[in-house]
Amino acid sequence: MINIQPRFKNDVVIFDIEGEIKRSDITDVTLHQLVKEQLDSGRRKILLNFDRVEFIDSFGVGEILASYISTHNLGGKLKLVRISKKLYLIFQVTMLTKVLDIFEDEEAAMKSFF
Amino acid sequence: MKSNLRPVESRLSRLMFAYFFLATLSIYVVKPAKESLFMDALGKPRLPYAFLLTAILMGLAVAANSRLVQRVHRPVYVSSTLGFFILTSLIFWVLIRGPAPWPWVFLIFWSWADILLVTTITQFWIMVNDLFSPREAKRRIGFLVSGGILGGISGSLIAYFRPAGLETESLILVCPAILFVCALIVFLAWRNAPREAGEDAEGKPGRRKEEKAGLIQSFALLRDNRYMLYLSGMMVVAIIISNLVDFQFKTLGKAFFPDKNATTSFFACFNLGLLVFSYLLAAFMTTRILKNFGMRIALLIPPVFLLVGSVAVYFIPAGALLIWVIYMRGADKSLAHSLSQSVRELLYIPLPQNIKYRAKVFVDMFLNKFADGLTGLLLIAVSPFLELSPKEVSLIAIVLIIIWMALNIRVTSEYVNIVKGNLQIKWQDADRLVTEKIDVDMTKLVFDTLQSRERSSVLYAMNLFDLIKKEKMSPELKRLIAYKGNELKARSMDSLLDVEGEALLPEIDDSLEPDTMDAQVREIMSLDVYQELMKKQIEKVARGEGKEDEVARMEAAKVMGMMAPESPLIRELTKLLKDESAEVARYAAESAGRLRRREFVPLLINLLSRSATQEAAKQALVAYGDRIAGTLHDSLADPLENLATRKAIPDILARMQAQRAADMLVLELKKDDPAIEAELIDASRWMRSNSPELVFQERIVLTKVVSLIKKCYLLLLQIQELRADRKKEILVKDVENTLSRAMKHVFELLGLILPQEDVIRAYQNILAGTRKSLDYSVELLDNILRKDIRELLLPLIEDTPFEEKVRLSRKMINAAEKIDFT
Repeated sequence: MINIQPRFKNDVVIFDIEGEIKRSDITDVTLHQLVKEQLDSGRRKILLNFDRVEFIDSFGVGEILASYISTHNLGGKLKLVRISKKLYLIFQVTMLTKVLDIFEDEEAAMKSFF
Repeated sequence: MKSNLRPVESRLSRLMFAYFFLATLSIYVVKPAKESLFMDALGKPRLPYAFLLTAILMGLAVAANSRLVQRVHRPVYVSSTLGFFILTSLIFWVLIRGPAPWPWVFLIFWSWADILLVTTITQFWIMVNDLFSPREAKRRIGFLVSGGILGGISGSLIAYFRPAGLETESLILVCPAILFVCALIVFLAWRNAPREAGEDAEGKPGRRKEEKAGLIQSFALLRDNRYMLYLSGMMVVAIIISNLVDFQFKTLGKAFFPDKNATTSFFACFNLGLLVFSYLLAAFMTTRILKNFGMRIALLIPPVFLLVGSVAVYFIPAGALLIWVIYMRGADKSLAHSLSQSVRELLYIPLPQNIKYRAKVFVDMFLNKFADGLTGLLLIAVSPFLELSPKEVSLIAIVLIIIWMALNIRVTSEYVNIVKGNLQIKWQDADRLVTEKIDVDMTKLVFDTLQSRERSSVLYAMNLFDLIKKEKMSPELKRLIAYKGNELKARSMDSLLDVEGEALLPEIDDSLEPDTMDAQVREIMSLDVYQELMKKQIEKVARGEGKEDEVARMEAAKVMGMMAPESPLIRELTKLLKDESAEVARYAAESAGRLRRREFVPLLINLLSRSATQEAAKQALVAYGDRIAGTLHDSLADPLENLATRKAIPDILARMQAQRAADMLVLELKKDDPAIEAELIDASRWMRSNSPELVFQERIVLTKVVSLIKKCYLLLLQIQELRADRKKEILVKDVENTLSRAMKHVFELLGLILPQEDVIRAYQNILAGTRKSLDYSVELLDNILRKDIRELLLPLIEDTPFEEKVRLSRKMINAAEKIDFT
């Protein structure tokens, strides 16, 4: 079961994600919808924190990518932090590391917004 | 005939002809003397004793011979035996010419004469085995046998006319005089025999002290050697049939000519006619039959003749029986004296020395008598149930002839196997070795992975992913990559994944299931959001030029190969296939091979012209399979196409290992384009060795073989011309090399339509260059090639002087031009 909690630091919305992001556990509100809600409220700097994410399937990756496109289309910035080694490897293989901004720790990610 | 002989062999042949002529002359002088003296002194009732004593003494002689032949140096052994017969014949002469000789001495003389006959003939063939290789022996076997038959005719005439009024007893004296000359010939022949380096020890079995010989050992040898067993069976059955025919002949002869003198005249007349006919057959037909039809057919001719005769005797009315029996007896004995004898002797030749001599002595000296005895037993056994009329005997003969034919077929197939066994493979097919021992694709991927780690973490991850997918991460490979990884730290990997001092690899190894990861990557790449996101990225990268963007283009090329073939992003790959960077083009080619979209094929063909991208393009095109064989053939056949591209295509077609691809190669071969001939032949050979089930159009292949053989003869003439001109002598080496290549191509092509391994063995043994290896190769080719090709090719490779080959060249070129396989 996924649990996504937004928190705000400076101008940045940080989504702390917990659990598994997968197709079989779709909740009423998806990551992409939550990101869009923040975009609709005028926020343009979004950081997804995967520190407590145990597993992401392709559906979960789709949610991340859809969130990125939506943010990017509105001139905003979406970044990722603390993703697993496995996911990083998958992102490399799919060349997504060339598009997405991925950081090892939150501090570095926060600095990159400014 | 002279044209086929080497000078040394020619001299040897003449000596052996003389030996055989004299030996049989003495035998045919002694034989009638033995019979008439025995009948005169002891009469018909004592004849069974003579058979019995001969069988016992023959057994002892076999045992003695079997030991001596292994322990005594060959010429000493043969001459000593001849010396024994010279001495004993003088003793018999003294004992027999007395006023009242002891009658039983004629019994001993009978057996002595039989042993003389068998021993001298056997020793003659043992010497032929020693002095000639199978090929040489086959060339002159007819000549040698005709010497024996001429000797027989001469001996018979001497015995018939008894010159200077010689008494029958005095005919015995002819024997020691002639055998003495034979002994001298043995030494001369041995001195003239050519020796091969390292052959001496093998060639002198008399020095092999560890060998045990004797009747029991010889029998054990026969029992343990399947080939010898078949050979012996074949001979026993043939002798039984021959005896049955003889039985019919004598029965009918006596019935048609009741008077004693008339019977004798009939038999004498028949014998003379038989010898003359046998001589003519040996002189004019034996070699021709062997050369034109080979051993298999030659062995079947006698049983076919006898089968026709036996069937006729069984079905035809009594009036014509004598004619059919004369036909059968004549065919049997004349063929036995000429063709069968020649072929049987050839059948011994490929056996190893230690088996050959003991077995030969055993078969020739014991088995013959054993078969005679078996005939008698057979006739005694069936006599209570049958009248043993010629018709009934024919029925038995028909059954035995069918068994004989089956054994003949079995023996010839075993013969070919033994000849093959004597040909050693000196080197293995290099291509096959590499394919079997090394996974080329895997090696390339490992190198790519290691190399990419220096350039880009993304490229490294992609290649690593390929390795994982292949599930070939052996412990050695993991260590290699981990070790290299320590040396060549990838930038982003270091910062992100190696923070805790752990290498990436153990993490992958422990936690990632290759199948799960692959599925996940595919699913992500098929997402619309992924395609949308990557579209701009890939378009931007593909547009980029110059060294600084090279790695990005390589990454893009690689990632496109992982996408589904229908992805619209893949269109960008066409740009990367034309990339000026060989590395980028190589990655793009690899991806194109995975996606297998039609529009990439012309671009991949273009990449064949660049050495840096050729291999990747080849592999990609191979991945398409034979559906693009037609497109490849268009480029192959186009003289305006880049030559490097054309030269690369045969290899691609070969690697497809499909019948359609094989057809394309052969079709192109037909055009006689020298620019790509070597590549076409090499690719076809590789294809055949990896996919023996593929069929290459024999007509086209043979036409090409003939054309290449003709080229070889033309090159021989060219070499002769160049050698004659001192200024041009330097060019000889080049032409010789061209000749060697043409010869190699001839054998490679023959391997497409014949058992490839046999052809390779033959070719490699020709290259080995020793007389023995060459002879065995020629012998093998003689058995597997069709007649027209055999006649054209063998003179080119046989160990004859260069001048002789040149002399034959024009004739062979004309012959080659006349051959038409349409």
